Amino acid sequence: MAKKVIGLVKLAITAGKATPAPPVGPALGQHGVNIMAFCKEYNERTKDQAGLIIPVEITVYEDRSFTFITKTPPASVLLKKMTNINSGSSEPNRKKVATIPKSKVREIADIKMKDLNAASIEAAMRMVEGTARSMGIDVVEG
Amino acid sequence: MDWREVAVTISAEGEEIVADLFYQLGCPGVSVDDPEILRGYIESGSWDFHDFGEVEATGTIVIKGYFPEDNELSAKVQRLDQGIRDLLERFPNWVVQVKGISLKEEDWATAWKAYFKPARIGKRFLIKPSWEHVNPAPEDIILELDPGMAFGTGTHPTTTLCLKTLENIVKPGQKVFDLGTGSGILAIAAAKLGAEVEAVDLDSVAVRVAQENVDLNHVSDKVRVSRGDLGTVLRGQAQVVIANIIADVILMLLEDLKRILSPEGEFLASGIIEHRASDVEEGMKKAGLEILERVEDSGWILFRARWAN
Repeated sequence: MAKKVIGLVKLAITAGKATPAPPVGPALGQHGVNIMAFCKEYNERTKDQAGLIIPVEITVYEDRSFTFITKTPPASVLLKKMTNINSGSSEPNRKKVATIPKSKVREIADIKMKDLNAASIEAAMRMVEGTARSMGIDVVEG
Repeated sequence: MDWREVAVTISAEGEEIVADLFYQLGCPGVSVDDPEILRGYIESGSWDFHDFGEVEATGTIVIKGYFPEDNELSAKVQRLDQGIRDLLERFPNWVVQVKGISLKEEDWATAWKAYFKPARIGKRFLIKPSWEHVNPAPEDIILELDPGMAFGTGTHPTTTLCLKTLENIVKPGQKVFDLGTGSGILAIAAAKLGAEVEAVDLDSVAVRVAQENVDLNHVSDKVRVSRGDLGTVLRGQAQVVIANIIADVILMLLEDLKRILSPEGEFLASGIIEHRASDVEEGMKKAGLEILERVEDSGWILFRARWAN
């Protein structure tokens, strides 16, 4: 059917745990979207990645029906998971909070590749390394 | 419980770091308003139509997080402010603005239902969401439909034009093909008028939702929903073929119409925006169709046609 788009909403929420509480409720409620249907579908699609932040982009049509696509988790979330830390450094240049081997950076770059605007896996790795440095995570050989 | 919405406007490269500050403070997620994403969708051409004008490239995004307004609120807001000040020391050229507003607790799980009320379409159709009660007249045909992940909640002009026309032309026992069924609403309507219906859609989510709606309306013995295009899925010919899609897709499927529309059958082409109507009309005539009717609602056109001679 001829679908006219009236809204686009991006949320970064926890996989498998979407509820109508904020941020989902206020973001989708203003467009009149069936929030329970969204939560159910999002949780179903992301249940295998429970605990990770999985961004989602929701397109809302004129009749308030919707579709959505999920994205890969943010690099910072994957870096924290791989290095087992809860947060990045408040002074990333001086205070290092973890190290990560290049092989793990490559793993993250592999996951992120489809969402990053990167020409090659090496370019994607450089982006991930940039995020790591901004969090006070040292990238080491290995 | 009320909420404090904190909106941080920041240079786009700060998205992950600021989102992370919210996560650290217990937010289960954030919303992100990023003009570049919107622009990406518009430029990809994947949307048929949209309401957005020119999207201004600001280089900034707005990240919103929400805290319960309880006795921990001020400590959390202070920690967020401190986190942002630290960020600005590291990235002095980042644009930052922080705004907080109070948000009343709402029943978000059900508030959206206010947008969906029973609607009468044509003489007999009464569309209603599952949670509403109606008192139908004996001749009324109820279409029960909850809005969700497939287009076609029943009140859009392209759909209502089709419903009004179906009501006048579909006879019990006829075969109807519904191309691009979406929520399945037109297939269900045709089945409730007594037709045997084959509904197809390329989108697997639409196929699933359409099947759920077919079951909800107790017409699964009369409607078969399949995924695929008409060339691979549909067999035989129908007395009525509905295509409530968009102008370009309708033009593409005209070629296959000879195979699926019976010699005496009628073709309903809907979802045509006004400025494309002449293209579709011309295409239909070239394909050997004769236009029987042209109806319009709010800038959308439906053509009813049959084979010329």
